[in-house]
Amino acid sequence: MANEICLDWWGKASAGAILGLGLALSLVGLYAYLGPGGIDAPGGRYSLMRYLEVFVWVAVFGFCFLFRSGRAAWAWLGAANLIAFTTLFACRFYFFV
Amino acid sequence: MIRADIIKLYKTVHTWTGITCGFALFIAFYAGALTMFQEPIARWASPPAVGVAAVPLDDAPRLLELVAAAHPEAREEGIKLHLRGYENEPARVTWEEDESHEAGQPHGHVHWWATLKPDGSLLAKQEEPSELAEFINTIHMRIGIPEPWGSYFMGVVSLLYGVALIAGVIVLLPSLVKDFLALRVGRNLKRMWLDAHNVVGITALPFHIAMAITATALSLSHELWSLQEAVIFGGKQAILDERDNEPFRAPKPIGEAGAMMAPSQLLQRLKAQVPDFEPKVMIFKNIGDKAASVRVAGAERGYVGDTHLGGVMLSAVTGELLKDSTRPSRQDPDRRASETFYGLHSGQYEGATITWAYFFLGFSGAWLFYSGNLLWIETRRKKACKGGELPEQRRDTYWLGAGTVGVCLGCVAGLSLTIVAAKWLYGRVDDLNHWHEYIYYAVFFGSVVWAFAWGAARSAVHLLWLCAAATMAIPLTTLLAVLFPALGMWAHGSAATIGVDVVAFIGALCFAWMAVATTRRIRNGPTDSIWSIRKADGDTVPHKPAATPAE
Repeated sequence: MANEICLDWWGKASAGAILGLGLALSLVGLYAYLGPGGIDAPGGRYSLMRYLEVFVWVAVFGFCFLFRSGRAAWAWLGAANLIAFTTLFACRFYFFV
Repeated sequence: MIRADIIKLYKTVHTWTGITCGFALFIAFYAGALTMFQEPIARWASPPAVGVAAVPLDDAPRLLELVAAAHPEAREEGIKLHLRGYENEPARVTWEEDESHEAGQPHGHVHWWATLKPDGSLLAKQEEPSELAEFINTIHMRIGIPEPWGSYFMGVVSLLYGVALIAGVIVLLPSLVKDFLALRVGRNLKRMWLDAHNVVGITALPFHIAMAITATALSLSHELWSLQEAVIFGGKQAILDERDNEPFRAPKPIGEAGAMMAPSQLLQRLKAQVPDFEPKVMIFKNIGDKAASVRVAGAERGYVGDTHLGGVMLSAVTGELLKDSTRPSRQDPDRRASETFYGLHSGQYEGATITWAYFFLGFSGAWLFYSGNLLWIETRRKKACKGGELPEQRRDTYWLGAGTVGVCLGCVAGLSLTIVAAKWLYGRVDDLNHWHEYIYYAVFFGSVVWAFAWGAARSAVHLLWLCAAATMAIPLTTLLAVLFPALGMWAHGSAATIGVDVVAFIGALCFAWMAVATTRRIRNGPTDSIWSIRKADGDTVPHKPAATPAE
């Protein structure tokens, strides 16, 4: 924590905007599969998910400037995306086909 | 404790997201505040018409029958039977028909209304209703940028607005307890404006968070839908969507004749089956068929977001409930949550209290972006040394000041004048709904040009007087309509439409007050600012704060 935090405006902002959206889709996608009723649950789930996705997206984008550098932001958020998407695609193509 | 470098970094984030989005957000919030009274404005702008009362509800069966016989397209697409007698309901019955078009091509709609002549025969007429209120809503949603770019743009702006909120709160956190609700009115003008900006922002924070999230989701709804389908659902979403829309679809006609139940009886049957439902309009489909249905749109007491999608469908023959899963109390939890988010955006809950609260929160939001721009300018202001030469202000502060004045006040004056035009131009131009757009854009862009031509200080006074005059013209027009009926204008007597005039009157006084205060500031305020018209004049009085430095 002692390291100086650098602005690295474009590096962090691009990570927040792009990987934030990715994380939003994959995490909220997990709710679609693991939430009550599962992926075939009738009703307005897909509609609610848009709001939840934006919630995650804004939060990641807003707090991504706390990363030490743009590189760190891409690395951490990239790893988080990888895990979340792996789980999502495992659900989509393996567990709940 | 938050480290100083983090605060500094987030201050930069807050500044630049705020400055880039401030203009668009001002327009969205100001126009959005007006859309809280979209219906009263639509009623105010609607010319006198036959009205709902011309056909008592007991005579409605005959009217519906005649319309269905004479207009097969209406019979199939739905005939609206109005219940409330508002001024924007031209007659007891209205419907829409497709404009002539090639099959499968996008096309517009034409509007019809129908009533009964004294001899009991049908009088149907095609007449386009005023789209003024919808136009204000379009400005609110897309600030006038054509689709699809308007939605993309506002989606990005709303997202950055969310980031600006997070950044602003982080910057404020360390001093929050100390500064909270502290409005230090005094010599340090920048301090006072910053305090005011913080108080308005932090007290309305839940509102702003709800707005940032819902506005992004609503603006980008198509794009997010497609992304969800591609990444998450893999084709299943369209199926779910289809299933979800089923309760809104009317049953297909079966081709057998059936006797229709009278609307008054249907309403009684509705009340017996769904006691808490407040019907606004009944939409009949396939009248005369045994499978005829009526969808009743309206609110259900005690539920958020109640008028957006809610509704029930009855058989128009037996009055039995056909489809009941779309009204709020019967929606599934996900739909309910989603509708609640939408309700939080549109202020559709708790009735008039929330409508008024959102109205003022909308203005306070607009002011937040306005004051944010002022703080940006003030931060970069070059102060004169005591007795020293008057420094040249930075060009960028000069341009941002002019832009802020032109865009914000241009939007205000443009909306007021286009509202006024609803009465003055009615019957005098062919296509009034397009004129609403021409007038708004002419005033808006004219104001922006004016602001850059005259500079922030002078143009602020000119344009504030324009705002005051344009807004005052709203009640004056109604007054003129009463005094001189020969002008061909109208003055409705309902509380809602008089309310529009009263609110406009008070608004005009506020603009006039701002104009007076601004005049004082540009003449007597400190000269080392873009808000002064005085040249260096040996200003010996130490910086005396003006009442409102920027407005």
